[in-house]
Amino acid sequence: MNERRTSVPSEAMQLPILTRFLQEFWSATELPQAEALTFELALEEVFMNVVMHGASADSVPRVEVSVALGDGALTLTVEDDGPAFDPLSLAAPDVTASLDERRVGGLGVFLVRRMMDSVSYHRVGTRNQLRMTKQVAR
Amino acid sequence: MKVRLETLGPTTLVIPQGRLDFASADRFQEQLEQALAGAGTAPAALIIDCVDLDYVSSAGLRVFLRAARAAERAGVSFAVCALKPAVRDVFDLSGFSRIIAVHASRAMALQSPAGPA
Repeated sequence: MNERRTSVPSEAMQLPILTRFLQEFWSATELPQAEALTFELALEEVFMNVVMHGASADSVPRVEVSVALGDGALTLTVEDDGPAFDPLSLAAPDVTASLDERRVGGLGVFLVRRMMDSVSYHRVGTRNQLRMTKQVAR
Repeated sequence: MKVRLETLGPTTLVIPQGRLDFASADRFQEQLEQALAGAGTAPAALIIDCVDLDYVSSAGLRVFLRAARAAERAGVSFAVCALKPAVRDVFDLSGFSRIIAVHASRAMALQSPAGPA
């Protein structure tokens, strides 16, 4: 099992730091580059959801990100200590809607669910925990 | 993200390079609005050539959606072309390839500038 973790405040400007964290893990583990973008997208969508939904007037949640590689699968876990919020409860967008009727809300989480093998949400104590897993060919 | 512009007769080509994510989406949106406005006269067609676009997230899709709608309102045909596999996946999964004209190459986009409208 190869595992790494990092943490940042839930501020949009931290996104490049998280992307770089993932890219460095990719280089170190020599995983196929084609899979990297899938996880970069998942991390962006989930992190930006926390940024949008998690902050209150008096506090900025802390976001902890971990990646773990084992048995040919990569697990990406995003935890934050913001208010309880289950992104998987968001309604899926109507991907058959016309150009004029198309809404973009919920699209990020929808993409993550489609691209990952499994996605689960748990409220653990005072923390939100979103765990995403996908087989990665080596 | 860098963005290049090319003009081919009545067609404006916008060529984004790199990552279209939350960080670069707002700026790209502005650049597309400027391209649609043109230099006084709107172009007849706007093509986003994605040959150098490595990554797009939902924040980027939002920009494509807004631009496609703005183009439709302005009577400008709108298309994207030369999507890399990772970008193509995002377009397909999100259903965006049904509502925005997607061409395999720039040449094919230029041949059928009518778009999906």
